[in-house]
Parts: sequence; C-alpha cells; structure tokens
Amino acid sequence: MPDLVWFVIRRLLATVLVMLALSLAVYLIFYALPADPARLGCGKPCTPDRLEQARHFMQLDQSTMQQYLQFLKGIVAGRTFGEGAAAVQCNAPCFGYSFPLARPVTTLILSRLPITASIAIGAAVLWLIAGVSLGLGAALRRGRLFDRFAVGFALVGVASPSFLVGLLAILVFGFWLNMVPVNGYVPLTDSPVDWAWHLVLPWVVLAALNAASYIRLTRAQMLEELNLDHITTARAKGAGEGRVVLLHGLRGVLVPIVTIFGLDLGGLLGGAILTEKVFSMQGLGELLISSVGQLDVAVVVGVTLFSAFLVILANLVVDVLHGVLDPRVGHA
Amino acid sequence: MKRTTRAFAVAAALALAVTACNANDKSATPGGGGTAAAEQGGTFHILTTSKELSLDPAKSQSLGISAIHLVLRGLTSWKTSPDKAAEIVPDLATDTGQVSADGKTWTYKLKPGLKYADGSPIVAADIKYGVERSFAPELSGGLGYHKSLLVGGDKYAGPYKGGELASIETPDDSTVVFKLNKPFGDWPWIVSMPAFAPVPKKADTDPAHYGEKPAASGPYQVKSYSPGSKLELERNPSWDKASDPARTGLPDAVVYDMGLQADVINQRLIADAGDDKFAATTGTSVPAALIPTVTGNPAVKARVATSPSGALEYLAMNNKRPALSNPAVRKAIEYAVDKQAVQVAEGGPEFGGEIATTLITPGMDGYTKYDLYQAPPNGDPEKAKQLLAAAGVSNLSLVLAADNAPTGLSVAQAIQQGLKKAGITVTIKPYDSDALTEVQTGPKGDYDLTVSSWLPDFPSAIGNIQPLFASSEIGNGGYNMSRYSNPAVDAAINAATGESDRAKAATAWGAIDQQIMKDAPLVPLIYARNAFLHGSKVQNFYLPPYPPYPNTLIVGLSK
Repeated sequence: MPDLVWFVIRRLLATVLVMLALSLAVYLIFYALPADPARLGCGKPCTPDRLEQARHFMQLDQSTMQQYLQFLKGIVAGRTFGEGAAAVQCNAPCFGYSFPLARPVTTLILSRLPITASIAIGAAVLWLIAGVSLGLGAALRRGRLFDRFAVGFALVGVASPSFLVGLLAILVFGFWLNMVPVNGYVPLTDSPVDWAWHLVLPWVVLAALNAASYIRLTRAQMLEELNLDHITTARAKGAGEGRVVLLHGLRGVLVPIVTIFGLDLGGLLGGAILTEKVFSMQGLGELLISSVGQLDVAVVVGVTLFSAFLVILANLVVDVLHGVLDPRVGHA
Repeated sequence: MKRTTRAFAVAAALALAVTACNANDKSATPGGGGTAAAEQGGTFHILTTSKELSLDPAKSQSLGISAIHLVLRGLTSWKTSPDKAAEIVPDLATDTGQVSADGKTWTYKLKPGLKYADGSPIVAADIKYGVERSFAPELSGGLGYHKSLLVGGDKYAGPYKGGELASIETPDDSTVVFKLNKPFGDWPWIVSMPAFAPVPKKADTDPAHYGEKPAASGPYQVKSYSPGSKLELERNPSWDKASDPARTGLPDAVVYDMGLQADVINQRLIADAGDDKFAATTGTSVPAALIPTVTGNPAVKARVATSPSGALEYLAMNNKRPALSNPAVRKAIEYAVDKQAVQVAEGGPEFGGEIATTLITPGMDGYTKYDLYQAPPNGDPEKAKQLLAAAGVSNLSLVLAADNAPTGLSVAQAIQQGLKKAGITVTIKPYDSDALTEVQTGPKGDYDLTVSSWLPDFPSAIGNIQPLFASSEIGNGGYNMSRYSNPAVDAAINAATGESDRAKAATAWGAIDQQIMKDAPLVPLIYARNAFLHGSKVQNFYLPPYPPYPNTLIVGLSK
C-alpha cells in the first residue's frame, strides 16, 4: 500500500508543523501574562537580586523567542539548568523541566499517563458497547418504548455536565450506599482488582454521558442505512434480517462511529480534566490544571503538545481505518 | 515572612506544615476526642494536597513546627504552647547563641555525641556546609533571611562554584561562628530555619535530589518517597531523645498521603474511619462551606483545632495615590470600614478570626491591645463623612484590587458596602491570585486599595512590621502594599532590628506599631484564624497563637 504509506508520512510531517505552531502559541500566550514564574523559586524574602538569580537559573531572563528556541533545542540535545555539581539535568528528548515539581516534563507526563489512560480506555470501551448496542436496538424498534427510552436517555446524557453527575454518583454510590471507593487511584500493577474497583465509578459516569451521542448517531445512521439500495439488494437476495443488519447495515454505521470514537478517545487521553478533578485522580488533566495555577509554563506546554499529538494521532488512525472500512475512501 | 493567601495548593506545597487537635477550643467537650493520652507507637498520617514534598533544607520555607523538622534538626528549635507564641529553645546547639558586644558575631557550641542516622557524627562543618549550599541558585526557594545578614552573602553563589563563605567559621568540630554585617537581635530564630540543618558534604553527591533522602538528624528518616502519592518516614535509630527539647518522637512512623483534594481531606477527617482516625491535616483549613457540618456535630467539632490568632488580614491603602496621600482621607477610611462584614465573609468570629486594630498580632511579644480609630464593629460612616468633609474631599472614588477567589470577592464586597455608607465609591477589580501578587508588589502600584494578609516566618514583631512598612519593601517584589514610606519609622525599624534584648525589642516594636497606625497606612481587618481537622486518635494537636499551625514535632497517637 504505497499510497497509504505516503499518506501517513505526509500526515506525520504536517503533525510536526502543527505542533511547532501550537507550542509557539502557548509560549507567547503564557509570557503575555502579568506574572513571574521565577518568583516561586526565589525564596523568602525575595530580594530583587535573588529574583534575578532565580530568573537566570530558570533561563527566564532570555527573550521569549530565545526561550522558545532553547525549548526546541532541548528536544534534540537536552538541557542543563545552572552549572556545576548542583545543576539540574533534563536529558533529551527534553520537553521542558518543571521547577515546582522538580521533574522533567516527559517524566511527569509518563507518570500521569497510566491514570488518564485507565480512565479513558475503560470508559471508552463501555460507552462504545453501550452506545452502539442501544442505538442499534432503538433503530430496529423505531417508535416503540425501547426507542423512546434510549433516545430519552441520550438526551439527558448529552445535557448533563460531567462534574454534576460525578458528584451525584459519589454521593449516592460512595457515601450513601457505600458501594465503591469515592476517590484515589491504585496502579494496575499493584492490584488489578483494586484498580478496577476504584475506576468503576468514573468509568460508568463518563460512559453514561458519552454513550448518549453514540446512541443518537448509531440510531440515525442505521435508519438511513437500512433505506439504502444495497440493503434492499441484500434482502432481495434472501439474506436473513440478522445478516442484513449486522453485516451490511452496521458496516456503514461504523464509519461515522469510528470517526467520533477516535476523536473522543484521543481528546480524553490528553486529560479527562473534570473527571480527574471530581474523583481525585492525578492524571494528565489534573497536572495541566494545577500547572496553570502555578505558572508552570514547561508543564503547560508539554501537556498541551502531548494532548494535541494524541488528537492528531487519533485523526490519523481514523483516516486510515476509514480506508479499511470503506474501500471507496482513497488516501491519495 | 509569609504572605498568606487562601490558595492552599500553593501554600501547602511550599510549607510542610503540621496538623493538630485544639487545646484552645473552648467548645471542646470532654470525651469528644482529644482527651486520651498520647502513647509511644503507631503510624501518624498527614493528609496533604501537595504533590511534591522536598526535604532539602536549602529549598524549604517550612516553619519551625513543620514535618521537615521531624527529619532535620537545626541549631535552635521551636517550643510551642497553646496560649502563647512559640519560644526558641536550643536544639543541636547547647544554647540559643552567644552574641558579641557589637551584636554582629554569634557563636554556637554543638552538644556532644550527636549522630546522623548512619551513625556518623554531626560536626560544625556540616552546619556551615548546609548554610553555604542554600546560597546556590540551583537550590534557591527556601527561607533566606540569613543571605543578606551574613557578611559577603550578597555576592556568594554557593559551595559548588563559589568556594567557602568566610563569614561562617568552624574553629573546631563543635563550634560555629556567624559574622553578620549588622546587629540582628532575632538571629537565634534565623538559625532554627531549615537551611541551618547539618548537611555532610560527602552525602551531597546529587544536590538536585538531596531532598528525597537527606541525612537525618531528627527522630525520623525517609523510608520511601513516591512523588505525587506518598512519603514515608521511619525511626532514626541514632536520635537521642535526651538531647532534644523540641521533639517527642512518639509515633513509630509518619506517612504523608499526598496529592489529595482539599474537600476529600476534610471529608475523610470528618468521617474518621479506619486509618483516618490516626490522620490529620497540617495545611488544609476547614472551608466556610463545611463550617455548618462541623459545628452541627459535637463529636466532629471537638476534632477541629482553631488558632487563637494568626495572620493579620488588612486593607492596604496605596499612600502614593493622590486620593490617598492625604492622611485625613485614610483616617476617614479607618472609621468607615465594616470589619464585622469582613469577619462574616471569612467565616465568623469562631472560624474567621477576631476583629483587628493593631499591626502586631496577639500572642507575639510586643503586642498591646489598642485602637486608635474606635468605631463599632460595623464601622462609623458618620464619623468618616465628617472627616472627609473637614478635609474638603467629596465624591471619593477608589479602585480595589481583589483576589477573584470566592472568599476574596466576598471580603472585597464587604468593604465596598461599608465604604458606600460613608459616601465612598469602590470599584472592585478582580485578579487571579498570582496576578494580584504581581500588581500588589510590582513597581506600578496601579490600585488604590487592596486586601492581603500576612504571617511572619518567626514569632518576632519584626516580622509583623518590617516587611509591610519599611520603605525598602515598596514595588520591588516586597510586601509594603500600602507603599508607606516614613523616614522616622524606617530609622525606628533599624534600631529595633539590632536589639538583642528581647524585652527591649518587644517594647520598641510595640511603639513602632502605634507610630505607624497614627499615619493610617492600612486598615487592620481581622486576626485570621486557621482551623484544622484531625482524627480521633491524634493527640497533642493544637494551634498556638503563633504559628497558627499544629506542632507536628509533638503529635502522638492514642490506642
């Protein structure tokens, strides 16, 4: 598939350009803020001399453009802050160093990713299954009670803010019924059971809310699909209704579903901010929010780029899958 | 000195503060918790919002009662009691310091037989090296009062590239001599700070990560550290209780449960289940929203420790602005402010704090109760109107730079409403807390009024006065937000700073307090209380008037 290979290469090159533009934008926005990140590292009392020293150490005394170039250089060659035995090393690929958290940004992102990934992937699997099966059921029983229920559920789900549902779920299932833990994350490697047990509530909450759009999409798409010529042809050839729906109908439905699923999952992997906040999970979203509060530019740039990369990657995967699901889509 | 904000995430990350149960809580009922005796043993859990805890003494801004001092001892240490400010006691040193006649040389002798966890001896050179490394820009961020006081400190860049600091002498293994560039009477407090903990040079092989497992001189040493989730301390076998007047070392282990939401911490401590019975918070105050829950349940209320006093919350009036450069206008505002409404916005008298009229806070040496601008708690707008009329001022319109957090805005609105009754129009300009600090302490001073609060870093009135009123602290990152400049006050501050006789110093600071208030540079609002929850098995947990944080060094657990 030389076409596909070229397509992927072209897209990856475009990705690099998008990331460059994005990182520059984040840098410029942050340096326009009327606050000085060096102040947090200056000590007390923060005399002008000591502040200048802290700025120099954190390389904040250079122009915004110079700092941005240093950032780019760090990705290739790594960075050293300060000099001598006490210098802080950030090895290549260095996407910046967080002084408040005393860790390279890449280390921070990698340490938080398993948490966000656990939330996102678990929830995504749930809402994909629930959304598609409910939507399918609704389409096949159009106008009946099941359809009404599924569409009504979808409406409520789309309209509900996740923090509200999350907090209600914590109150009901955590505090009142005391069925599940209300917060915290246990690594999968520590105990798979505890891991899943702590994640049940966020999974269900996220899935319930996200499944809504999948129900509506699946239902609408399926209804449209069942009216198309190839379905009529399949029926005319004597195919059973199950075969018609699952093999011929669902295939058409999957194209838009895969599209939004890829984007939703990509977006969520970059940080499920509200969900992480509500359930006290220290994922990427939580890292991003607390870094904004602490003017930790390095982490903000790093997480933003990483999230953007995931979304772009998801787009790419979706486009490749389109070709597989629907041979009419070319990649030229 | 510590500028307190309600932004606990940042504050808690900077200060490894402590938690405690309240011996001062007048409403605490016997049997409601906090009456059983603390025993040897158990694991004390500290619940914190912090995601990063560094025990590097050079980088620490922790107060003398904070958990970093469970691992690190200083030359001196803090001894607390429920009803008065902390006192200074000798720690590694045999006394709180011998000062020369000119007040510029301080000499300390180490106690005999002191050892690190690995059994090696603690020597004077380790104190010297610990202080020296705090000068390295790579390790900046800690309490650095010593940096401008030690001779040559302004030019010194740390031991990694600057050699030794000649103004710290170690004539033998048990003697440390500090040479200051001016007399400084509170030096014994300075040497209680984290940077004065001993650091053996041979243990400082990776300075950037020294704080993850520092050489332990206190009752505990680091067992494990996982950033973002947990810091575990275990006993230091070499610690000799007889040599330590500040620490009781009761629990067998101390564990930091890190990275928790403030709400979660309070809810867990209210629930008091399982291991949380042995847990407390040392930095997350009970928020206004939870006060009804807490006061509604006597058993929970008995487990809240509140401080009798705390940071001074004040309304700064920018003396450099034309409208406020006239002292008569500022005095009118002194009368007009509705301090009671501010108090309500902060959680009421019991949790918010008492109404303030002085600059030095209760419990500090030098505090005398006085009120130059006597008015009812909700202000005296009529008197304010008369003063404004007499000064020929009408239609006064002022801009108030405020913190856009909920409490910050409520306080700003309380002030706005109060001044409105006196015919003064206040426009509130909200800022994020970091941006607000920049506006308040930056060179431009683009505001008329602003609300802030201030807690000294050690219990001396110098910490109440100097940072907020010395001319040197205006617009360069310093906290003189009133931009108040009075050469007579500057001279008096310098004189009191050099006084090493504590009683004389206290009298001097008390006089400066009243001298400043006669110029009405700011309006004292409340002495802000802290309120911290603790589990039912946590003992010796109380909040002194200063510091308004629990003393972790003495907390014990009951069975």
